[in-house]
Amino acid sequence: MMSVPTTFRVIDLRVSIGTDAIIRGISMDFFANTVTSIMGPSGCGKTTFIRCMNRLHELVPSIQVSGDIVLFNQNIFSVNPMLIRRQVGMVFQRPNPFPTMSIFENVVAGYRLNGIRLAKSESAQIVETSLLKAGLWHEVKDSLHRKGAFLSGGQQQRLCIARALAMDPSVLLLDEPTSALDPKSTSHIEDLIAELKESVSIIMVTHNIGQASRVSDYTAFFLAGELIEYGTTQKLFTVPDDPRTEEYLSRKFG
Amino acid sequence: MTDRWFKIGLLVAPAFLITLVGGMAITLMWGASSSFQQAGWGFYTQLTWDPVHHVYGGGVFILGSVVTTLLALFLAIPIALAIGLFTGYYFTTGPIAVMSQWVLDLLASVPSVIFGFWGLMVMVPAVRHFEMLLGVAPYGVGLFSGAVVLATMMIPLTASLIRESVATVSLELKEGALALGATPLEVVRHIVWPISLPGIGSAIMLGFGRAIGETMAVTMVVGNANHLPTHLFDPTNTIASLIASEFGETSDPVVVAHLIHLGLILLVLSLAAGMLGRYIIRKQS
Amino acid sequence: MHSTMGTDAQLSRRVWQDRLFKLILVGVALGVVLLLTTIIGFVIKQGVSVINWSFFTQLPQPPGARYSGILNAILGTLMLTALASILSIPVGMWCGVAMAEHPLHPLVKWAQVSVDGIQSIPSILFGIMAYLWVVVPMGQFSAVAGAVALSMIMLPIVIRAVEEAVRRVPTTMREASLALGVSPFRTTIKVVIPCALNGILTGSLLGVSRISGETAPLLFTAFGSPFLVLSMFQPVQSMPILIYNYATSPYADWQQIGWGASLVLILFCFVLSVGTRWVFKR
Repeated sequence: MMSVPTTFRVIDLRVSIGTDAIIRGISMDFFANTVTSIMGPSGCGKTTFIRCMNRLHELVPSIQVSGDIVLFNQNIFSVNPMLIRRQVGMVFQRPNPFPTMSIFENVVAGYRLNGIRLAKSESAQIVETSLLKAGLWHEVKDSLHRKGAFLSGGQQQRLCIARALAMDPSVLLLDEPTSALDPKSTSHIEDLIAELKESVSIIMVTHNIGQASRVSDYTAFFLAGELIEYGTTQKLFTVPDDPRTEEYLSRKFG
Repeated sequence: MTDRWFKIGLLVAPAFLITLVGGMAITLMWGASSSFQQAGWGFYTQLTWDPVHHVYGGGVFILGSVVTTLLALFLAIPIALAIGLFTGYYFTTGPIAVMSQWVLDLLASVPSVIFGFWGLMVMVPAVRHFEMLLGVAPYGVGLFSGAVVLATMMIPLTASLIRESVATVSLELKEGALALGATPLEVVRHIVWPISLPGIGSAIMLGFGRAIGETMAVTMVVGNANHLPTHLFDPTNTIASLIASEFGETSDPVVVAHLIHLGLILLVLSLAAGMLGRYIIRKQS
Repeated sequence: MHSTMGTDAQLSRRVWQDRLFKLILVGVALGVVLLLTTIIGFVIKQGVSVINWSFFTQLPQPPGARYSGILNAILGTLMLTALASILSIPVGMWCGVAMAEHPLHPLVKWAQVSVDGIQSIPSILFGIMAYLWVVVPMGQFSAVAGAVALSMIMLPIVIRAVEEAVRRVPTTMREASLALGVSPFRTTIKVVIPCALNGILTGSLLGVSRISGETAPLLFTAFGSPFLVLSMFQPVQSMPILIYNYATSPYADWQQIGWGASLVLILFCFVLSVGTRWVFKR
């Protein structure tokens, strides 16, 4: 575990909203070119946790945070959040392509919205590369300039993945990316995740244990705002150290 | 950095709005100031408006506005209630609902001056006929005509508000009553009516607030007579009509101030009705 | 079971009452439909006879003249609504976005009260305000003064529509943009507002429909004129004012023209208000 370079390093993260403690002191490292799943029952803090990693948690007005999150030797709380978000991409639970933009425009939306002007050839290149990486290129290459309303849920989610990938992030955060999709699209995206880790590190929240076991290299188990266990997926699922992990897994599988 | 400026820039907008409203109030009060000084409290009770003898009393118009509007309410409420129930309970979907929505929308989009035109050309002669039958002075224009035209204009808005109030009574309550064997009328009487009562009250208040400020249609059929109506068909005048007919005509600055003063009273009455209407709704939720 | 339903006589009485009530309601509704039909029908019948090409292209003539038209009124109304829109739409968007983005800020809460207040003000009073603010300093009636009065009537309509439209944009759109590293400022301008454009446009058109029929605030601001006026610093004729003047005149042919203008105005208002809601219903 120690020899692989780290991307995120979380140090004693504590998050609360008002008097409710959501995350009670979590420390963990995330490794480059791996897929890490975070699983746990609802309310365990996994979604809040992942939203801290690109500082989206700040949208909640009364949230209080202490501790550090370090990305490549830079504390993410000490710089402008926008800079972090350009290095760390996010895909949400429900696909959310921008309805007023075409498929092409959606993929390069990150650039356009930031006021970065791309040469026509450059943006075409980015669109093709990102859609290829997201496994959507062949399905939409002839309708790039149409708005995406005709795409299925799974396709829309892949479009959102392409949009995030277009920014060339080093880490991709996935917040239950397949929970709103049908089984076929889900398995498409799981295959995609396995391929993507070559170029980008992935941190994924999931409530689907099967998915975690199929797709991730490392798995973390959260319970009531605490990190209970963190290790390679193989170890966690076969011989977990903590009895609570075992109980969660058996309840879900049994 | 731009984000802080953006937020500040955005928040200038509500500040601007508040200042605008303040400016409106101050303007009107300043415009009416010489009237305050001249007339004092007697302005509200003085029932004579006589430019020739320089006697300016606002009482006629205040009463005229209030009475015309109340009479209009009296005529409009039963109809608005019926339509509100019709579209909010009995026929909420289907072609009849769509058609009634169209009719109400069309009625609501007709400008006041055209209602007045129609009132003047069609209704007033009819009322004149009726007055002759009754043996009353056949002016045609007067309190009654004003109230009828006003009532016609009030119906769409009031009916829509009542419909909303009726339609939001929860389905489970209505179904529960029906499951116990009640007829739809009984459901209305025992369940829908009591629950939507505050909403209906609010709709009436809001209708009153809008109607009392109605100018053109009323001006054209109310008779523009600066005295209190002695009977239902007597010509009279309202604040809005007075302002409409006199404001551009008079050159006497004191009269202008009196007119603005009356305008302020109209404003207070409308605002009070509006606030009361919204208060009733807020209390319910 | 039988006892809870009462006697057969009671039951049939209740059913009969229910049917009667429904009948009364249907009757009233039909009555209103009838009323509307007579009003609109009358306007159409009277107005159609006057409508022809010269109606739209000629200026008003003295009573008895042959080819009289309402060109100056049509152009005047267009000018007034355009000016009023220029004043109220940008300000309305600015306020609407602010109120939707920061609903809990105390300034915004007071602003909500203010908007409710403006909406309750009788329209003729806006005429008085515009008179004091514009006509008096300028020394004359003008289209600008009329536009100022109309813009204040239109403003709350636009604000409410914009606020509603912006609030309806799903949070997830905003989050997706932020997650791409876009600043909140740009997110609002380039993502939220385009998503809300539908509602903003509908609200603006509804506002235009409302003010194009307003007469009272123009009585002593834009005032009216027999001439074709293209300057905004002069008094200008408008459809509702023309209708008012001609309706209350004693000349039959002027009244006819008034009906024609009424028909045009009703069509205009109706198409705008119902048409936009129908088109933007997606």
